[in-house]
This record gives sequence, C-alpha cells and structure tokens, in this order.
Amino acid sequence: MSAGGYISGIGHTGLLIWLVMGWGFDSEPLEFDVAPVSVVSGEEYAALVAATSPQPQTEQPPAPESPAVEDTPPAPEAPETPPAEAAPPPPPPEAPADETPPPPAPEPLPEPPAEAAEDIAPPPPPPAAAPPPSPLPDVAERPVPRPAPRVAPTPAAPPPPDAQVADTVREAATPEAESPEVAEVEEQATAPEEATTEIVTEAEEPAAAPETPPAPQVAALAPPSAPRPPSRPARPEPAPETEPRTETAVSQNAEPEPDPAPSSDTSDAVADALAAALASTPTPAAPAANPGPPMTGAEQSAFRVAVQQCWNVDVGSEAARVTLTVAFDLDPQGRVQGDVRRVAGQGGSDMAVEAAFQSARRAILRCQGDGYVLPADKYEQWKEVEMTFDPSGMRMR
Amino acid sequence: MLTRTIALLLAPLVAATALPAPALAQGGPLQITISEGVIEPLPFAVPMFQAETAGAEQVAADITRVVAQDLIGTGLFREIPSTSFISTPASFASPVAYPDWRAINAQALITGAVAVNGDQLTVKFRLYDVFTGAELGEGLQFTGTTGGWRRMGHKVADAVYSRITGESGYFDSRVVFVSESGPKDDRARRLGIMDYDGENRQFLTDSNSLVLAPRFSPGGDRVLYTSYESGFPRINLLDVASVGRRQITTVEGEMAFSPRFTKDGQSVIYSVSTGGNTDIYRTDLGSGAHSRLTSAPSIETSPSLSPDGSRIVFESDRSGTQQLYVMPVSGGEPQRISFGEGRYGSPVWSPRGDLIAFTKQNAGRFHIGVMRTDGSEERLLTSSFLDESPTWAPNGRVLMFTRETQGASGGPQVHSVDISGRNLKQVPTGGFSSDPSWGPLQQ
Repeated sequence: MSAGGYISGIGHTGLLIWLVMGWGFDSEPLEFDVAPVSVVSGEEYAALVAATSPQPQTEQPPAPESPAVEDTPPAPEAPETPPAEAAPPPPPPEAPADETPPPPAPEPLPEPPAEAAEDIAPPPPPPAAAPPPSPLPDVAERPVPRPAPRVAPTPAAPPPPDAQVADTVREAATPEAESPEVAEVEEQATAPEEATTEIVTEAEEPAAAPETPPAPQVAALAPPSAPRPPSRPARPEPAPETEPRTETAVSQNAEPEPDPAPSSDTSDAVADALAAALASTPTPAAPAANPGPPMTGAEQSAFRVAVQQCWNVDVGSEAARVTLTVAFDLDPQGRVQGDVRRVAGQGGSDMAVEAAFQSARRAILRCQGDGYVLPADKYEQWKEVEMTFDPSGMRMR
Repeated sequence: MLTRTIALLLAPLVAATALPAPALAQGGPLQITISEGVIEPLPFAVPMFQAETAGAEQVAADITRVVAQDLIGTGLFREIPSTSFISTPASFASPVAYPDWRAINAQALITGAVAVNGDQLTVKFRLYDVFTGAELGEGLQFTGTTGGWRRMGHKVADAVYSRITGESGYFDSRVVFVSESGPKDDRARRLGIMDYDGENRQFLTDSNSLVLAPRFSPGGDRVLYTSYESGFPRINLLDVASVGRRQITTVEGEMAFSPRFTKDGQSVIYSVSTGGNTDIYRTDLGSGAHSRLTSAPSIETSPSLSPDGSRIVFESDRSGTQQLYVMPVSGGEPQRISFGEGRYGSPVWSPRGDLIAFTKQNAGRFHIGVMRTDGSEERLLTSSFLDESPTWAPNGRVLMFTRETQGASGGPQVHSVDISGRNLKQVPTGGFSSDPSWGPLQQ
C-alpha cells in the first residue's frame, strides 16, 4: 500500500509539475500565428488609390480589392466565371493587404487594373463607359463611382494652403495678447482666497473656539446686525466636520488635553506618527494668537457678492483696463469707517485710475446699506479690508 | 499594526499640508478680489438749472435737457425723472441733501444755474457724488452767447462725463458729412456740417457736383474732400468758417482721392491712381512738395495716420485680397495686420491710439469693427447689408459710420455705436446722409 501510495504520489506529482511547467502545452499556439493583416476600410482604400492614381503600376495591390467588392454586384447581375474567381477573396474585404490578395491578383489584374487606371484619370467618361461591356461590368461599375469622389477632393485641396498660411500667422498674434490677462486673473482671483479660507480656518477654529474673548465684545457692541452672529457661533459646534481635514492641528492640540496616556495603542500610534511628522515642521500654534476664527469661503463670497453687485463697470472705458486695490476699515456693524483709500492702481492713465477708484469707492459705499453682513464674532478678521477690483475678465465681452 | 502603518504613511502627507498654514495664517487686512461687476447705466439726477436772471427760465430748462440728453445718449447714464425727486436745491449755493438723493438711488447729482445778460449767457454747474457725499471736482462756469446755448449744455455734459468716466467728452464737437437727396440712381450730394447729435445742420457746398469723403482737419477749421467738379476726382480744401474752397495740387494722375490731414494739419496724405496702379502720396499744403509713400504694383489707398503721427494704416490688395497694413509715416516696408476672413478696408486710427476701426466685408455682410494696432483682438461691432466709412469720436470712445438700407427706397444713414458694441443708434441728419467725419472738441 505504502509503496503504491508513494509511486502514485510521485507519479501524480511529476505529472502536475510537468503540466504546471507548461511543457505539455507548447505545440498548439504556433498554429495561431496571427498574420499581420491590416484592415483597409473603403475610405482608406479610396485614399490609397487616390494617392497612387498617377502611377498606374502601383495599383496592382489595390486591384485585388476591387474584385473583392465585386462580390455583391455579381450575385444580382451576371454569374460568370470571373466572379467565381473573385469569390474566394470574400475574406479580403476584411483587408488582406499583403499576403492573401497577391495570388488572385495576377489573374484579374490584366483586365481591371487597366480600366481602373483609366477611370481614375478621366473621371467624366467612366459613368458612360461602365455599363456597356457585359463581361466586365462588375469591375467597371465599382471603380467608376469611386474615382469621381477621389478625383474631386484633390483639385479642391490646393486652395487651402493659401488660407492656412494666414491662419497660422493670426494664431500667433492672439495668444500673445491674451496670455497676460489670464495670468492676472489667476493670480489675484484664486491664490489669496483659498489660502485664507481653507487651511487657516481649519487650523485655527478648534483652538480659537474655546477662547472667543474678542467675539463676545463684538457681539455686545453689535446688536443691530444680529441676524448673522447667531448663525456663526453655531459653527464651532459641528467642529468635527472640519476635523478630518485638519488632523494635524486637532491631534496635536488634542493630545495634551484629553488623552495623556490611557488611550489605546492605535491612537497612540497615530498620534505619535503625526506628532513626529509635525515636529520637524514649524508648528501653527504661534500665529493662532488672537485674531479669532478666520472667515470662511462662504462668508468671504457673500461679502464679495455684496460689493460686486454695486460695482458698475464701463467695459469700453480706459478705466476698464485698470486693476485697482483699495483699503478701508469697517466698524463692527459692517459700515465703512472713514474713507476708502486707494492702495494701488495700474493699467491706465492717471485719469483712468482715478475713474476706476471713484467707481470702486461708489460700489463699496453704495452697497453697504446699513452695514455689510459679516460674522460679528470674526470682526478682527474683517475690520480692515483690502479689496482688489480686477475688471480684466469683464472687458469687452 | 495596520493603523500604525497607515499613520506612518499619512504622516508625511499631513505634514506637507500643514506646512503652508502658518504662512497663510498671518494677520492683516482681509483680502478680497472683485472680478465681476455689473454693466448698467449710472443713474444721475439733474434738477432743472436755476434761472438766476429774469427771463432765463426757458434757456435754463433747454440747457438742462441738453445736458441730460448728452449723458443719456452715451448709453452709460440713466436719468432719474424729476417726478421722483424728494427735494430740489433751493439755490445753486445751497447745500445738498444727500440722503434725499441716496433714497432714490441717484449716484450722481448735477446742479446748475443760468444767467442771461443781454446777449451773454453764463452757465455754471456742480457735480456731486451722492454716495460719497462729496462734490466731484469743482464747480465750473462757462460764458458764451445766447445763440450758442446748445454748446454750453454740451460743455457742461462733457465736464460731467469726464469727471465720472475719466475720459474726455465728445459732446461739444461737430461732424461733416455728405447729405444725399433725390432718387437712388441720381442722388444729389452736398457737404453738410452738424453738431455731433445732428443739431444745427448747415450745408457747405451746393449740389451741382459729386462730393465724397469729407475729412475734418485736426483743428476742425478746414475740411478736405473729393470732388468730381472737373469730371475726375480731385481733392479740395474747404474753410469751414468762410466756406471758401480751393483744389489742392496733387501728383499727376487720373484720379486723386481718399485724402486725410496729417497730425499738424500742414500736409495731406492721399491716393493717386495712374494706369490701374494706385499708391499713397503726401503733399505739403504750404510748399506743394510731394512725396511717394508706397510703390507697389497693387492698389494702396485709405491712409490714416496714428495720433502720434509716426505710422500710417492703409488698405492694400497686394496679398490678393483687400487687407490692412501699417507702415512708417515716411513710407517703408508695410506690415500686414488683418488676417481674418473677408476683406478689410477704410481703416481709421483711433484718437486714443490703441485701436484701428475698419470696414469688413465677409460672407455677404458688412461690418464695422475694431482691432488693436497690431491686428489682435479684432471685434466686430455691427453687421448689416452695408456698413462703411467709420469715423472716431474725438475721445476714441464712439464710432460713427454709414449704414445703407436695401431696396429701391433704401438709402444711407449715419449711425453711431459705442466701441463696446452697445448703444447702436441712428444720428438724425434730416434725410439720407453718408461719409461722416467727426471733428475735434471745439475750443
């Protein structure tokens, strides 16, 4: 038994190894040698013939294909011997470019190639000449319609070159003029806002929320602009929402307070790893001193929209080329204190800059109403405002 | 274990995101960028100007209307009707009750007073920025004759426009044009002159001979035009005040046409056609000396000088189609600036120097368009059966042009359009009219 078992085991094992190693499946794949057959569609074939039309000799390879197309016509029209020969090439419609066609080619060649060459050269005659010959109508009909479209596009092609020359030159000019504008928009529109809204917000909110000493003062001073303040204080509560983004700040600040050591291994591991990673970078603890919670993106957007709906841009004026920065102070009620100051203006003459400034100032003053609606608990964040008016995106659109 | 691994993997990432935080968390003013605004007419209020002398009420009312119409006509201002006024100033010197004007959303307030002493007319005005609560600029006073009351109104409007937009105005200016009358196949044409708004129309020539393409001199005192008085097109010079005219001695040729003054008004650039070839020449009006600026076998015509006098833009078919080219004022190798589809013609350099206006014919339509002087930023402002002959307002803000309507009863009319493409409107000329040439602001 044991001997038989061993023999059986060794034998099977050997068989398995032999199979696994693949020695048993070698021979088959060779037969599936995939011939490099390129599929030639009707259009491509047309292009080929059109390209070779001036040279009658090169047409020999395409010629076999034309008989291949004959397959359909022969059936309804005339059952003759030549079509029978053409019958084998039915596969050719799939486009046997190099190998299969050659054999049938020599046979039909003498007849069709000659006609095909004629057809291509003189497009008008083919339609009339095609029907008469009964034995070869099949061959004649097919080539006839094709040459016409092939020949037609070629004479039409020459004119474009003139126009293309003009196009290229013009393209070169326009991008140059546009590029500076695009650059301006990107710089001033995106960079500062993203910076202040996202990262700063998340980093400082949890830390500052418990403190909020400045906020109560402001709230006490600003009863009239009540509607907003209540909604803002609510935000610190859903703090967990913002936590995922700012794991760094949260974990770091959280460590000393709630979880000295008793926490589990996993939290320790995370905390350690994060702490280790942050240890090498300047900690954000320093800047989060007093300024209170930063403005969120939505709060800034609301402020922006409130001003821009009063910013009337005369798109055809020189002032519409001026990018202007103004500064102003707001009181806790969101009203402009003092005057709007011009900080910088560029892109136009002094008069244009002055007009742009007047327009910006009008927008700020006109839309303030009883005060811009801003979160009272973040007064420290918006008591000073630097506003840039960039009309480049509106100009002449 | 797994958590530790994840934490270790995340740590560098988290550290990287935490890095910029301190840099961005710095204090300072809240930074806001406004890149979207609104495009709407600025609402203004102009209570009827005070009549400071007896009998001045009517002219005061008329001048007030001229000021309002000038501003409204730009498309940039909207008048708040007087029926909405909560209060009106008791006198020109009385303080302004800003809250009353803020309440009706007037952004600008114009107050004025008119006094008539014999034939002398005095107009003064003040402009207030209502929401700033301050006067915009200082009060101004103009003095003229009672017959020139419209000009006084235009001057007030120019000052207001300038202070609010930062650009000079264009209301106190005149336009020469070709007035046309009679059936379409036999039109009588004569030179006319009018205020920019179509008022005060007068004729400068009779209708005995064909006249074309009048062009104001830089000072607005003379007009160049092409006349067929001799049977062939010749360039004439006309003095606006005396209506005296003379033919300019140009280079010999079958036709001389398309004249324009140089910046100093001392020379004329124009086209001369000889044997099927048309080139651009320059002639000094004082000495009569000629110089040839182009010498190509193609057709070069419609020259227009840049405001600094250094370059000339013109049309040429040297490339096979009619296109725009720019060359130095003394001649030299021209540089093609138009590359769009269609044919470009009758280029005119903006008085601001930043744009070139042109006529474009493409796909069976005519357009008035503008492009920068290097050919970039092409914008088509109009589109119709036939638009041609653009001319710039003296501040480069508005274009006037000829629009011809189709059909037997159709005819040319002078239109104007803001370079933003807005505010397209017909200029009243009392009949058919074409070939406007906008003169400078009057002194």
